[in-house]
Amino acid sequence: MNNTMSMKKMEKITSIIKFLILLIFGVVLMAPFIWMVSVGFDRTANISMPFPPRLIPEEPSKFNYGIVFENGRLIKSYINSTIVTVSSVILGVSASLLSGYAFSKGKFKGKKILFIVVLCTLMIPMEPRLIPLYTLFNKMNLLNTYYPLVLPSIISGMLIFLCKQFFDQLPDTLREAAQIDGAGEFRIFFTVYLPLAGPIAATMVILAFIWSWNDFMWPLVVLNDLELQTVPLYLASFSLENGSSLGGLTMALATVSILPIIILYLFLQRYIIQSIALSGVKGE
Amino acid sequence: MANNSMEAANTATQSVNTNTHTESKTMKQKKRSSQWTWYIFLIPSFLGILLFMVYPIAESLRLSFFKSNGTIETFTGLANFRTVLTSGPFWNSVWNTFYIGIFQIIITIPLGFIFATLINSVSKGKNFFKVLYFLPNVTSIVAAAMIFQFVLHPEMGILNYILGSLGLPTPGWFSDPATSKWGVILLAVWHWIGFVIIICLANLQAISSEMYEAAKIDGASGIQQWFFITIPNMTGTFAFLLITGWIGALQRFNEVYVVGGPNGSPARSIQTMGAFIYERGFTGFEFGIASAATYIMFIIILIFTFINLKVSKMKI
Repeated sequence: MNNTMSMKKMEKITSIIKFLILLIFGVVLMAPFIWMVSVGFDRTANISMPFPPRLIPEEPSKFNYGIVFENGRLIKSYINSTIVTVSSVILGVSASLLSGYAFSKGKFKGKKILFIVVLCTLMIPMEPRLIPLYTLFNKMNLLNTYYPLVLPSIISGMLIFLCKQFFDQLPDTLREAAQIDGAGEFRIFFTVYLPLAGPIAATMVILAFIWSWNDFMWPLVVLNDLELQTVPLYLASFSLENGSSLGGLTMALATVSILPIIILYLFLQRYIIQSIALSGVKGE
Repeated sequence: MANNSMEAANTATQSVNTNTHTESKTMKQKKRSSQWTWYIFLIPSFLGILLFMVYPIAESLRLSFFKSNGTIETFTGLANFRTVLTSGPFWNSVWNTFYIGIFQIIITIPLGFIFATLINSVSKGKNFFKVLYFLPNVTSIVAAAMIFQFVLHPEMGILNYILGSLGLPTPGWFSDPATSKWGVILLAVWHWIGFVIIICLANLQAISSEMYEAAKIDGASGIQQWFFITIPNMTGTFAFLLITGWIGALQRFNEVYVVGGPNGSPARSIQTMGAFIYERGFTGFEFGIASAATYIMFIIILIFTFINLKVSKMKI
Protein backbone atom coordinates (compact mmCIF):
# COMPACT_ATOMS: atom_id res chain seq x y z
CA MET A 1 0.00 0.00 0.00
CA ASN A 2 2.72 2.34 1.01
CA ASN A 3 4.64 1.36 -2.09
CA THR A 4 1.87 2.26 -4.53
CA MET A 5 1.36 5.56 -2.72
CA SER A 6 4.97 6.57 -3.23
CA MET A 7 4.75 5.33 -6.84
CA LYS A 8 1.80 7.64 -7.40
CA LYS A 9 3.68 10.48 -5.79
CA MET A 10 6.71 9.83 -7.96
CA GLU A 11 4.54 9.82 -11.06
CA LYS A 12 3.02 13.12 -10.08
CA ILE A 13 6.41 14.69 -9.46
CA THR A 14 7.83 13.50 -12.79
CA SER A 15 4.80 14.81 -14.63
CA ILE A 16 5.23 18.20 -12.97
CA ILE A 17 8.92 18.21 -13.89
CA LYS A 18 8.05 17.32 -17.48
CA PHE A 19 5.52 20.12 -17.59
CA LEU A 20 8.06 22.61 -16.25
CA ILE A 21 10.73 21.54 -18.75
CA LEU A 22 8.25 21.99 -21.59
CA LEU A 23 7.20 25.37 -20.27
CA ILE A 24 10.76 26.64 -19.89
CA PHE A 25 11.83 25.47 -23.32
CA GLY A 26 8.63 26.93 -24.74
CA VAL A 27 9.51 30.32 -23.29
CA VAL A 28 13.02 30.00 -24.80
CA LEU A 29 11.49 29.32 -28.22
CA MET A 30 9.11 32.27 -27.84
CA ALA A 31 11.78 34.66 -26.55
CA PRO A 32 12.69 36.05 -29.99
CA PHE A 33 9.01 36.88 -30.64
CA ILE A 34 8.48 38.47 -27.24
CA TRP A 35 11.62 40.53 -27.58
CA MET A 36 10.67 41.49 -31.15
CA VAL A 37 7.32 42.97 -30.07
CA SER A 38 8.92 44.78 -27.16
CA VAL A 39 11.76 46.34 -29.16
CA GLY A 40 9.23 47.41 -31.78
CA PHE A 41 7.63 49.64 -29.14
CA ASP A 42 10.99 51.18 -28.26
CA ARG A 43 11.68 54.35 -30.18
CA THR A 44 15.28 54.64 -29.02
CA ALA A 45 16.07 51.16 -30.33
CA ASN A 46 16.69 52.65 -33.76
CA ILE A 47 19.82 54.33 -32.48
CA SER A 48 20.97 51.61 -30.13
CA MET A 49 19.17 48.51 -28.99
CA PRO A 50 18.01 48.64 -25.36
CA PHE A 51 20.72 47.04 -23.27
CA PRO A 52 20.44 45.15 -21.04
CA PRO A 53 17.36 43.75 -22.81
CA ARG A 54 14.09 44.50 -21.03
CA LEU A 55 10.57 43.31 -21.51
CA ILE A 56 8.86 46.71 -21.24
CA PRO A 57 10.59 49.56 -23.11
CA GLU A 58 11.73 52.54 -21.06
CA GLU A 59 9.55 54.92 -23.02
CA PRO A 60 6.98 52.87 -24.88
CA SER A 61 5.99 54.52 -28.14
CA LYS A 62 4.00 53.59 -31.23
CA PHE A 63 6.49 55.51 -33.37
CA ASN A 64 7.97 52.49 -35.19
CA TYR A 65 4.64 50.86 -35.87
CA GLY A 66 3.35 54.20 -37.12
CA ILE A 67 6.18 54.44 -39.62
CA VAL A 68 5.62 50.89 -40.84
CA PHE A 69 1.99 51.67 -41.66
CA GLU A 70 2.64 55.19 -43.01
CA ASN A 71 5.32 53.96 -45.34
CA GLY A 72 2.72 51.72 -46.98
CA ARG A 73 5.15 49.37 -48.63
CA LEU A 74 4.40 46.56 -46.21
CA ILE A 75 0.68 46.94 -46.82
CA LYS A 76 1.32 46.96 -50.55
CA SER A 77 3.44 43.83 -50.28
CA TYR A 78 0.67 42.18 -48.29
CA ILE A 79 -1.77 42.85 -51.10
CA ASN A 80 0.73 41.51 -53.63
CA SER A 81 1.39 38.37 -51.60
CA THR A 82 -2.33 37.80 -51.20
CA ILE A 83 -2.99 38.06 -54.94
CA VAL A 84 -0.11 35.72 -55.76
CA THR A 85 -0.93 33.21 -53.04
CA VAL A 86 -4.66 33.02 -53.68
CA SER A 87 -4.16 32.51 -57.41
CA SER A 88 -1.41 29.93 -56.84
CA VAL A 89 -3.52 28.01 -54.37
CA ILE A 90 -6.56 27.92 -56.64
CA LEU A 91 -4.50 26.80 -59.62
CA GLY A 92 -2.40 24.22 -57.77
CA VAL A 93 -5.23 22.69 -55.77
CA SER A 94 -7.64 22.42 -58.72
CA ALA A 95 -5.07 20.80 -60.99
CA SER A 96 -3.98 18.41 -58.24
CA LEU A 97 -7.54 17.42 -57.35
CA LEU A 98 -8.20 16.51 -60.97
CA SER A 99 -5.08 14.45 -61.47
CA GLY A 100 -5.07 13.00 -57.97
CA TYR A 101 -8.59 11.73 -58.63
CA ALA A 102 -7.61 10.31 -62.01
CA PHE A 103 -4.62 8.50 -60.50
CA SER A 104 -6.85 7.02 -57.83
CA LYS A 105 -10.02 6.03 -59.65
CA GLY A 106 -9.02 6.19 -63.30
CA LYS A 107 -8.31 3.17 -65.45
CA PHE A 108 -6.15 4.10 -68.41
CA LYS A 109 -2.94 3.13 -70.14
CA GLY A 110 0.30 4.39 -68.64
CA LYS A 111 -1.23 5.19 -65.26
CA LYS A 112 1.68 3.69 -63.34
CA ILE A 113 4.39 5.36 -65.41
CA LEU A 114 2.68 8.73 -65.31
CA PHE A 115 2.31 8.50 -61.55
CA ILE A 116 6.00 7.68 -61.21
CA VAL A 117 6.70 10.81 -63.25
CA VAL A 118 4.65 12.78 -60.72
CA LEU A 119 6.60 11.25 -57.84
CA CYS A 120 9.87 12.11 -59.59
CA THR A 121 8.92 15.79 -59.61
CA LEU A 122 9.13 15.62 -55.82
CA MET A 123 12.87 15.10 -56.16
CA ILE A 124 13.48 18.05 -58.48
CA PRO A 125 14.56 21.15 -56.60
CA MET A 126 14.02 24.71 -57.81
CA GLU A 127 17.67 25.56 -58.40
CA PRO A 128 18.33 23.64 -61.63
CA ARG A 129 15.14 25.09 -63.08
CA LEU A 130 15.84 28.66 -62.08
CA ILE A 131 17.72 29.91 -65.12
CA PRO A 132 15.67 28.25 -67.88
CA LEU A 133 12.43 29.38 -66.25
CA TYR A 134 13.82 32.89 -65.92
CA THR A 135 14.77 33.02 -69.61
CA LEU A 136 11.43 31.42 -70.57
CA PHE A 137 9.40 34.10 -68.80
CA ASN A 138 11.82 36.74 -70.01
CA LYS A 139 11.19 35.70 -73.64
CA MET A 140 7.45 35.87 -73.01
CA ASN A 141 7.96 39.36 -71.58
CA LEU A 142 6.42 38.29 -68.31
CA LEU A 143 9.17 39.24 -65.87
CA ASN A 144 7.90 41.70 -63.29
CA THR A 145 4.38 40.32 -63.50
CA TYR A 146 2.65 37.80 -61.27
CA TYR A 147 2.46 35.12 -63.96
CA PRO A 148 5.87 33.57 -63.25
CA LEU A 149 4.94 33.27 -59.58
CA VAL A 150 1.50 31.79 -60.17
CA LEU A 151 1.74 29.55 -63.25
CA PRO A 152 4.40 27.09 -61.99
CA SER A 153 2.20 26.39 -58.95
CA ILE A 154 0.00 24.32 -61.26
CA ILE A 155 2.23 21.34 -60.60
CA SER A 156 2.84 19.96 -57.15
CA GLY A 157 3.75 16.32 -56.80
CA MET A 158 3.02 16.41 -53.08
CA LEU A 159 -0.52 17.71 -53.54
CA ILE A 160 -1.29 15.11 -56.22
CA PHE A 161 0.13 12.39 -54.00
CA LEU A 162 -1.93 13.41 -50.94
CA CYS A 163 -5.03 13.74 -53.08
CA LYS A 164 -4.60 10.30 -54.64
CA GLN A 165 -4.14 8.77 -51.19
CA PHE A 166 -7.37 10.38 -50.05
CA PHE A 167 -9.46 9.19 -52.99
CA ASP A 168 -7.96 5.71 -52.61
CA GLN A 169 -9.79 5.47 -49.29
CA LEU A 170 -13.16 6.30 -50.84
CA PRO A 171 -15.06 3.26 -52.15
CA ASP A 172 -15.36 2.59 -55.88
CA THR A 173 -18.97 1.59 -55.45
CA LEU A 174 -19.94 5.27 -55.45
CA ARG A 175 -18.77 5.67 -59.04
CA GLU A 176 -20.33 2.44 -60.18
CA ALA A 177 -23.73 3.51 -58.94
CA ALA A 178 -23.44 6.83 -60.76
CA GLN A 179 -22.16 5.08 -63.86
CA ILE A 180 -25.25 2.91 -64.03
CA ASP A 181 -27.25 6.12 -64.00
CA GLY A 182 -25.29 7.07 -67.10
CA ALA A 183 -23.12 9.81 -65.60
CA GLY A 184 -19.87 10.66 -67.41
CA GLU A 185 -16.52 10.73 -65.66
CA PHE A 186 -16.57 14.48 -65.16
CA ARG A 187 -20.04 14.43 -63.73
CA ILE A 188 -19.09 11.61 -61.41
CA PHE A 189 -16.08 13.58 -60.24
CA PHE A 190 -17.88 16.86 -59.68
CA THR A 191 -21.11 15.53 -58.22
CA VAL A 192 -20.00 12.42 -56.34
CA TYR A 193 -16.37 12.64 -55.29
CA LEU A 194 -15.53 16.34 -55.13
CA PRO A 195 -18.21 17.03 -52.48
CA LEU A 196 -16.55 14.36 -50.33
CA ALA A 197 -13.07 15.81 -50.78
CA GLY A 198 -13.49 18.67 -48.30
CA PRO A 199 -10.97 17.48 -45.71
CA ILE A 200 -8.19 16.80 -48.20
CA ALA A 201 -8.94 20.00 -50.12
CA ALA A 202 -8.55 21.96 -46.88
CA THR A 203 -5.21 20.27 -46.24
CA MET A 204 -4.08 21.02 -49.79
CA VAL A 205 -5.12 24.66 -49.50
CA ILE A 206 -3.19 25.03 -46.25
CA LEU A 207 -0.02 23.44 -47.61
CA ALA A 208 -0.17 25.33 -50.92
CA PHE A 209 -0.80 28.55 -49.03
CA ILE A 210 2.25 28.07 -46.80
CA TRP A 211 4.51 27.21 -49.75
CA SER A 212 3.36 30.10 -51.86
CA TRP A 213 3.31 32.69 -49.08
CA ASN A 214 6.86 31.84 -47.99
CA ASP A 215 8.30 31.36 -51.47
CA PHE A 216 11.42 33.46 -51.76
CA MET A 217 14.14 32.48 -54.23
CA TRP A 218 12.01 32.37 -57.36
CA PRO A 219 10.19 35.69 -56.67
CA LEU A 220 13.59 37.23 -55.94
CA VAL A 221 14.74 36.22 -59.41
CA VAL A 222 11.72 37.36 -61.41
CA LEU A 223 10.57 40.48 -59.57
CA ASN A 224 12.68 43.64 -59.54
CA ASP A 225 9.79 46.05 -59.50
CA LEU A 226 9.41 47.37 -55.94
CA GLU A 227 5.69 47.87 -56.55
CA LEU A 228 5.22 44.14 -57.02
CA GLN A 229 7.30 42.87 -54.10
CA THR A 230 5.79 40.11 -51.99
CA VAL A 231 6.12 40.21 -48.19
CA PRO A 232 9.31 38.07 -47.94
CA LEU A 233 10.93 40.11 -50.72
CA TYR A 234 10.16 43.39 -49.03
CA LEU A 235 11.42 42.13 -45.67
CA ALA A 236 14.64 40.84 -47.24
CA SER A 237 15.32 44.06 -49.11
CA PHE A 238 14.69 46.09 -45.97
CA SER A 239 16.93 43.82 -43.93
CA LEU A 240 19.76 43.82 -46.49
CA GLU A 241 19.65 47.61 -46.68
CA ASN A 242 19.76 48.17 -42.95
CA GLY A 243 21.55 45.09 -41.59
CA SER A 244 21.47 45.20 -37.83
CA SER A 245 20.82 48.94 -37.58
CA LEU A 246 17.39 50.54 -37.10
CA GLY A 247 16.46 47.83 -34.62
CA GLY A 248 13.18 49.35 -33.54
CA LEU A 249 11.89 49.77 -37.04
CA THR A 250 13.05 46.32 -38.14
CA MET A 251 11.34 44.66 -35.22
CA ALA A 252 8.13 46.62 -35.76
CA LEU A 253 8.19 45.58 -39.39
CA ALA A 254 8.83 41.95 -38.48
CA THR A 255 5.98 42.05 -35.95
CA VAL A 256 3.47 43.47 -38.40
CA SER A 257 4.52 41.00 -41.07
CA ILE A 258 4.32 37.95 -38.80
CA LEU A 259 1.28 38.81 -36.69
CA PRO A 260 -1.51 38.17 -39.22
CA ILE A 261 0.01 34.79 -40.04
CA ILE A 262 0.22 33.91 -36.35
CA ILE A 263 -3.39 34.93 -35.79
CA LEU A 264 -4.46 32.87 -38.79
CA TYR A 265 -2.42 29.99 -37.43
CA LEU A 266 -4.01 30.20 -33.98
CA PHE A 267 -7.47 30.07 -35.53
CA LEU A 268 -6.67 27.19 -37.83
CA GLN A 269 -4.04 25.46 -35.71
CA ARG A 270 -5.82 22.14 -35.57
CA TYR A 271 -6.12 21.92 -39.33
CA ILE A 272 -2.66 23.30 -40.02
CA ILE A 273 -0.94 20.90 -37.66
CA GLN A 274 -2.99 18.02 -39.07
CA SER A 275 -2.03 18.99 -42.60
CA ILE A 276 1.67 19.16 -41.78
CA ALA A 277 1.48 15.86 -39.96
CA LEU A 278 -0.38 14.30 -42.87
CA SER A 279 2.18 15.45 -45.41
CA GLY A 280 4.84 13.93 -43.18
CA VAL A 281 3.15 10.71 -42.27
CA LYS A 282 1.96 10.01 -45.78
CA GLY A 283 5.20 11.22 -47.25
CA GLU A 284 6.85 8.23 -45.70
CA MET B 1 -23.15 -8.09 -61.37
CA ALA B 2 -22.73 -4.71 -62.97
CA ASN B 3 -19.61 -4.18 -60.91
CA ASN B 4 -18.18 -7.37 -62.18
CA SER B 5 -18.78 -6.56 -65.81
CA MET B 6 -17.01 -3.20 -65.43
CA GLU B 7 -13.98 -4.88 -64.00
CA ALA B 8 -14.02 -7.42 -66.75
CA ALA B 9 -14.28 -4.81 -69.45
CA ASN B 10 -11.27 -3.11 -68.04
CA THR B 11 -9.03 -6.10 -68.27
CA ALA B 12 -10.56 -6.76 -71.67
CA THR B 13 -11.53 -10.27 -70.79
CA GLN B 14 -15.20 -10.74 -71.28
CA SER B 15 -15.33 -14.36 -70.25
CA VAL B 16 -16.11 -13.86 -66.62
CA ASN B 17 -19.81 -13.28 -66.71
CA THR B 18 -23.00 -13.75 -68.57
CA ASN B 19 -22.97 -10.59 -70.70
CA THR B 20 -24.15 -11.06 -74.25
CA HIS B 21 -21.77 -10.24 -77.06
CA THR B 22 -23.39 -6.92 -78.00
CA GLU B 23 -23.44 -5.67 -74.45
CA SER B 24 -19.73 -6.18 -73.98
CA LYS B 25 -19.07 -4.44 -77.29
CA THR B 26 -20.75 -1.23 -76.13
CA MET B 27 -18.89 -1.60 -72.89
CA LYS B 28 -15.62 -1.71 -74.80
CA GLN B 29 -16.48 1.42 -76.73
CA LYS B 30 -17.46 3.16 -73.55
CA LYS B 31 -14.25 2.12 -71.95
CA ARG B 32 -12.16 3.46 -74.80
CA SER B 33 -13.86 6.85 -74.70
CA SER B 34 -13.62 7.00 -70.92
CA GLN B 35 -9.89 6.27 -71.17
CA TRP B 36 -9.56 9.54 -73.02
CA THR B 37 -11.49 11.47 -70.44
CA TRP B 38 -8.99 10.31 -67.85
CA TYR B 39 -6.20 11.93 -69.83
CA ILE B 40 -8.18 15.18 -69.82
CA PHE B 41 -8.11 15.06 -66.01
CA LEU B 42 -4.33 14.93 -66.22
CA ILE B 43 -3.81 17.70 -68.77
CA PRO B 44 -3.32 20.65 -66.37
CA SER B 45 -0.79 18.84 -64.20
CA PHE B 46 1.16 17.37 -67.08
CA LEU B 47 1.21 20.64 -68.97
CA GLY B 48 2.82 22.01 -65.83
CA ILE B 49 5.25 19.11 -65.59
CA LEU B 50 6.34 19.55 -69.20
CA LEU B 51 6.66 23.31 -69.09
CA PHE B 52 7.98 23.89 -65.58
CA MET B 53 9.82 20.64 -64.80
CA VAL B 54 10.93 18.69 -67.88
CA TYR B 55 11.78 21.63 -70.12
CA PRO B 56 13.84 23.59 -67.56
CA ILE B 57 15.71 20.49 -66.39
CA ALA B 58 16.65 19.61 -69.97
CA GLU B 59 17.42 23.20 -70.93
CA SER B 60 19.58 23.61 -67.85
CA LEU B 61 21.61 20.57 -68.85
CA ARG B 62 22.08 22.00 -72.34
CA LEU B 63 23.05 25.41 -70.98
CA SER B 64 25.69 23.89 -68.76
CA PHE B 65 27.71 23.04 -71.90
CA PHE B 66 27.54 26.62 -73.19
CA LYS B 67 29.04 29.92 -72.24
CA SER B 68 25.98 32.10 -71.99
CA ASN B 69 24.71 35.34 -70.57
CA GLY B 70 21.16 34.79 -71.69
CA THR B 71 21.55 36.20 -75.20
CA ILE B 72 24.93 35.13 -76.64
CA GLU B 73 25.81 31.46 -76.44
CA THR B 74 28.96 29.59 -77.42
CA PHE B 75 29.52 25.86 -76.97
CA THR B 76 32.31 25.17 -74.51
CA GLY B 77 31.90 21.48 -73.75
CA LEU B 78 32.79 20.58 -70.21
CA ALA B 79 34.56 23.87 -69.48
CA ASN B 80 31.80 25.09 -67.16
CA PHE B 81 31.95 21.93 -65.08
CA ARG B 82 35.74 22.26 -64.91
CA THR B 83 35.42 25.88 -63.81
CA VAL B 84 32.91 25.03 -61.10
CA LEU B 85 34.69 21.93 -59.83
CA THR B 86 38.01 23.76 -59.56
CA SER B 87 36.46 26.87 -58.03
CA GLY B 88 37.36 27.56 -54.43
CA PRO B 89 34.17 29.49 -53.69
CA PHE B 90 32.06 26.59 -54.98
CA TRP B 91 33.68 24.02 -52.67
CA ASN B 92 33.49 26.55 -49.89
CA SER B 93 29.74 26.82 -50.50
CA VAL B 94 29.44 23.01 -50.48
CA TRP B 95 31.32 22.91 -47.17
CA ASN B 96 29.10 25.61 -45.66
CA THR B 97 25.93 23.88 -46.83
CA PHE B 98 26.99 20.51 -45.42
CA TYR B 99 28.29 21.95 -42.17
CA ILE B 100 25.11 23.87 -41.40
CA GLY B 101 22.90 21.01 -42.57
CA ILE B 102 24.62 18.27 -40.59
CA PHE B 103 24.54 20.18 -37.32
CA GLN B 104 20.98 21.35 -37.87
CA ILE B 105 19.87 17.75 -38.34
CA ILE B 106 21.86 16.05 -35.60
CA ILE B 107 20.68 18.64 -33.12
CA THR B 108 17.06 19.05 -34.15
CA ILE B 109 15.92 15.46 -34.72
CA PRO B 110 16.95 14.07 -31.28
CA LEU B 111 15.90 17.26 -29.49
CA GLY B 112 12.58 17.40 -31.30
CA PHE B 113 11.95 13.73 -30.60
CA ILE B 114 12.66 14.18 -26.88
CA PHE B 115 10.27 17.10 -26.71
CA ALA B 116 7.66 15.20 -28.69
CA THR B 117 7.77 12.32 -26.20
CA LEU B 118 7.56 14.80 -23.32
CA ILE B 119 4.54 16.48 -24.89
CA ASN B 120 2.99 13.08 -25.57
CA SER B 121 3.40 12.05 -21.94
CA VAL B 122 1.98 15.07 -20.13
CA SER B 123 -1.64 14.79 -19.15
CA LYS B 124 -2.46 18.48 -19.34
CA GLY B 125 -1.61 21.08 -21.97
CA LYS B 126 -0.74 18.67 -24.77
CA ASN B 127 -2.35 20.79 -27.42
CA PHE B 128 -1.07 24.02 -25.94
CA PHE B 129 2.54 22.86 -26.20
CA LYS B 130 1.99 21.50 -29.69
CA VAL B 131 0.69 24.85 -30.89
CA LEU B 132 3.40 26.77 -29.04
CA TYR B 133 6.31 24.68 -30.30
CA PHE B 134 5.11 24.78 -33.88
CA LEU B 135 4.81 28.57 -33.91
CA PRO B 136 8.37 29.32 -35.14
CA ASN B 137 7.83 27.05 -38.12
CA VAL B 138 4.79 29.08 -39.16
CA THR B 139 6.73 32.32 -39.41
CA SER B 140 8.55 32.78 -42.69
CA ILE B 141 12.25 32.04 -42.48
CA VAL B 142 12.93 35.46 -43.99
CA ALA B 143 11.26 37.27 -41.10
CA ALA B 144 12.92 34.87 -38.68
CA ALA B 145 16.36 35.66 -40.14
CA MET B 146 15.58 39.34 -39.74
CA ILE B 147 14.79 38.90 -36.04
CA PHE B 148 17.77 36.63 -35.42
CA GLN B 149 20.19 39.26 -36.66
CA PHE B 150 19.20 41.17 -33.54
CA VAL B 151 18.76 38.21 -31.22
CA LEU B 152 22.32 37.19 -32.09
CA HIS B 153 23.72 40.72 -32.18
CA PRO B 154 27.22 40.48 -30.64
CA GLU B 155 26.88 43.46 -28.29
CA MET B 156 23.18 44.19 -27.95
CA GLY B 157 21.60 40.82 -28.64
CA ILE B 158 19.50 38.98 -26.11
CA LEU B 159 21.45 35.72 -26.41
CA ASN B 160 24.85 37.24 -25.74
CA TYR B 161 23.35 39.12 -22.83
CA ILE B 162 22.25 35.84 -21.29
CA LEU B 163 25.53 34.11 -22.10
CA GLY B 164 27.45 37.04 -20.67
CA SER B 165 25.48 37.16 -17.45
CA LEU B 166 26.11 33.43 -17.02
CA GLY B 167 29.83 34.13 -17.43
CA LEU B 168 30.00 32.26 -20.74
CA PRO B 169 31.93 33.47 -23.81
CA THR B 170 29.93 35.78 -26.10
CA PRO B 171 30.62 34.92 -29.75
CA GLY B 172 30.34 37.43 -32.59
CA TRP B 173 27.77 35.20 -34.37
CA PHE B 174 26.94 36.71 -37.77
CA SER B 175 29.67 39.33 -37.56
CA ASP B 176 32.47 36.78 -37.26
CA PRO B 177 33.23 34.26 -40.04
CA ALA B 178 34.31 31.75 -37.39
CA THR B 179 30.88 31.65 -35.73
CA SER B 180 28.44 32.83 -38.41
CA LYS B 181 27.60 29.26 -39.46
CA TRP B 182 26.53 28.55 -35.88
CA GLY B 183 24.25 31.56 -36.02
CA VAL B 184 22.55 30.00 -39.04
CA ILE B 185 22.42 26.61 -37.28
CA LEU B 186 20.70 28.15 -34.25
CA LEU B 187 18.18 29.84 -36.51
CA ALA B 188 17.62 26.60 -38.42
CA VAL B 189 17.13 24.55 -35.25
CA TRP B 190 14.71 27.13 -33.86
CA HIS B 191 12.73 27.18 -37.07
CA TRP B 192 12.69 23.44 -37.83
CA ILE B 193 12.14 21.92 -34.39
CA GLY B 194 8.38 22.51 -34.47
CA PHE B 195 8.11 20.51 -37.67
CA VAL B 196 10.13 17.63 -36.19
CA ILE B 197 7.95 17.65 -33.08
CA ILE B 198 4.69 17.57 -35.05
CA ILE B 199 5.84 14.70 -37.24
CA CYS B 200 7.19 12.76 -34.25
CA LEU B 201 3.98 13.33 -32.28
CA ALA B 202 1.79 12.12 -35.12
CA ASN B 203 3.80 8.93 -35.36
CA LEU B 204 4.13 8.46 -31.60
CA GLN B 205 0.38 8.41 -31.35
CA ALA B 206 0.27 5.75 -34.05
CA ILE B 207 2.25 3.26 -31.95
CA SER B 208 -0.24 0.76 -30.55
CA SER B 209 -0.82 1.10 -26.84
CA GLU B 210 -1.00 -2.68 -26.49
CA MET B 211 2.77 -2.86 -26.78
CA TYR B 212 3.19 -0.47 -23.88
CA GLU B 213 0.64 -2.32 -21.80
CA ALA B 214 2.38 -5.61 -22.41
CA ALA B 215 5.70 -4.05 -21.43
CA LYS B 216 4.17 -2.61 -18.28
CA ILE B 217 2.89 -6.01 -17.25
CA ASP B 218 6.40 -7.36 -17.75
CA GLY B 219 7.60 -4.61 -15.40
CA ALA B 220 9.42 -2.40 -17.90
CA SER B 221 10.14 1.11 -16.61
CA GLY B 222 9.25 4.26 -18.55
CA ILE B 223 12.80 4.69 -19.77
CA GLN B 224 12.98 1.04 -20.82
CA GLN B 225 9.73 1.39 -22.74
CA TRP B 226 11.15 4.45 -24.44
CA PHE B 227 14.30 2.66 -25.55
CA PHE B 228 12.80 -0.69 -26.51
CA ILE B 229 9.37 0.24 -27.84
CA THR B 230 9.22 3.90 -28.75
CA ILE B 231 12.57 4.36 -30.49
CA PRO B 232 12.47 1.16 -32.59
CA ASN B 233 8.96 2.09 -33.70
CA MET B 234 10.09 5.54 -34.77
CA THR B 235 12.88 4.57 -37.17
CA GLY B 236 10.67 5.19 -40.19
CA THR B 237 9.86 8.65 -38.87
CA PHE B 238 13.52 9.44 -38.23
CA ALA B 239 14.31 8.32 -41.76
CA PHE B 240 11.63 10.59 -43.16
CA LEU B 241 12.92 13.53 -41.11
CA LEU B 242 16.50 12.77 -42.09
CA ILE B 243 15.64 12.80 -45.78
CA THR B 244 13.36 15.82 -45.84
CA GLY B 245 15.70 17.68 -43.50
CA TRP B 246 18.72 16.88 -45.59
CA ILE B 247 17.07 17.79 -48.89
CA GLY B 248 15.92 21.07 -47.36
CA ALA B 249 19.39 21.71 -45.92
CA LEU B 250 21.07 21.17 -49.28
CA GLN B 251 18.76 23.79 -50.78
CA ARG B 252 19.29 26.35 -48.03
CA PHE B 253 19.15 29.86 -49.41
CA ASN B 254 16.54 32.22 -47.94
CA GLU B 255 17.98 32.84 -44.49
CA VAL B 256 21.61 33.05 -45.58
CA TYR B 257 20.62 35.51 -48.30
CA VAL B 258 18.85 37.72 -45.77
CA VAL B 259 21.73 37.61 -43.33
CA GLY B 260 24.72 37.63 -45.66
CA GLY B 261 23.49 38.61 -49.11
CA PRO B 262 24.27 36.63 -52.27
CA ASN B 263 27.93 36.15 -51.34
CA GLY B 264 27.24 34.96 -47.82
CA SER B 265 29.07 37.62 -45.79
CA PRO B 266 31.09 37.70 -43.68
CA ALA B 267 33.87 36.40 -45.91
CA ARG B 268 31.63 33.91 -47.76
CA SER B 269 31.34 32.01 -44.49
CA ILE B 270 27.63 31.32 -44.90
CA GLN B 271 27.35 31.20 -48.69
CA THR B 272 25.45 28.00 -49.44
CA MET B 273 25.30 26.17 -52.79
CA GLY B 274 22.01 27.89 -53.54
CA ALA B 275 23.55 31.28 -52.84
CA PHE B 276 26.57 30.45 -55.03
CA ILE B 277 24.22 29.62 -57.90
CA TYR B 278 22.21 32.78 -57.33
CA GLU B 279 25.37 34.88 -57.21
CA ARG B 280 26.79 33.43 -60.44
CA GLY B 281 23.47 33.31 -62.25
CA PHE B 282 21.72 36.50 -61.26
CA THR B 283 24.35 38.94 -60.12
CA GLY B 284 27.05 37.82 -62.59
CA PHE B 285 24.71 36.53 -65.32
CA GLU B 286 27.04 33.61 -65.99
CA PHE B 287 24.21 31.28 -66.97
CA GLY B 288 26.43 28.48 -68.23
CA ILE B 289 28.51 28.30 -65.07
CA ALA B 290 25.47 28.63 -62.84
CA SER B 291 23.73 25.83 -64.76
CA ALA B 292 26.72 23.54 -64.38
CA ALA B 293 26.73 24.32 -60.66
CA THR B 294 23.00 23.58 -60.37
CA TYR B 295 23.54 20.23 -62.05
CA ILE B 296 26.34 19.34 -59.67
CA MET B 297 24.07 20.35 -56.79
CA PHE B 298 21.18 18.37 -58.28
CA ILE B 299 23.38 15.27 -58.51
CA ILE B 300 24.57 15.75 -54.93
CA ILE B 301 20.94 15.98 -53.79
CA LEU B 302 19.98 12.83 -55.70
CA ILE B 303 22.98 10.87 -54.39
CA PHE B 304 22.21 11.81 -50.81
CA THR B 305 18.54 11.07 -51.21
CA PHE B 306 19.38 7.58 -52.42
CA ILE B 307 21.93 7.06 -49.66
CA ASN B 308 19.36 8.19 -47.13
CA LEU B 309 16.76 5.88 -48.61
CA LYS B 310 19.20 2.96 -48.53
CA VAL B 311 20.50 3.64 -45.03
CA SER B 312 17.03 4.01 -43.59
CA LYS B 313 15.61 1.15 -45.72
CA MET B 314 12.58 3.22 -46.52
CA LYS B 315 9.54 1.68 -47.99
CA ILE B 316 8.01 4.07 -50.45
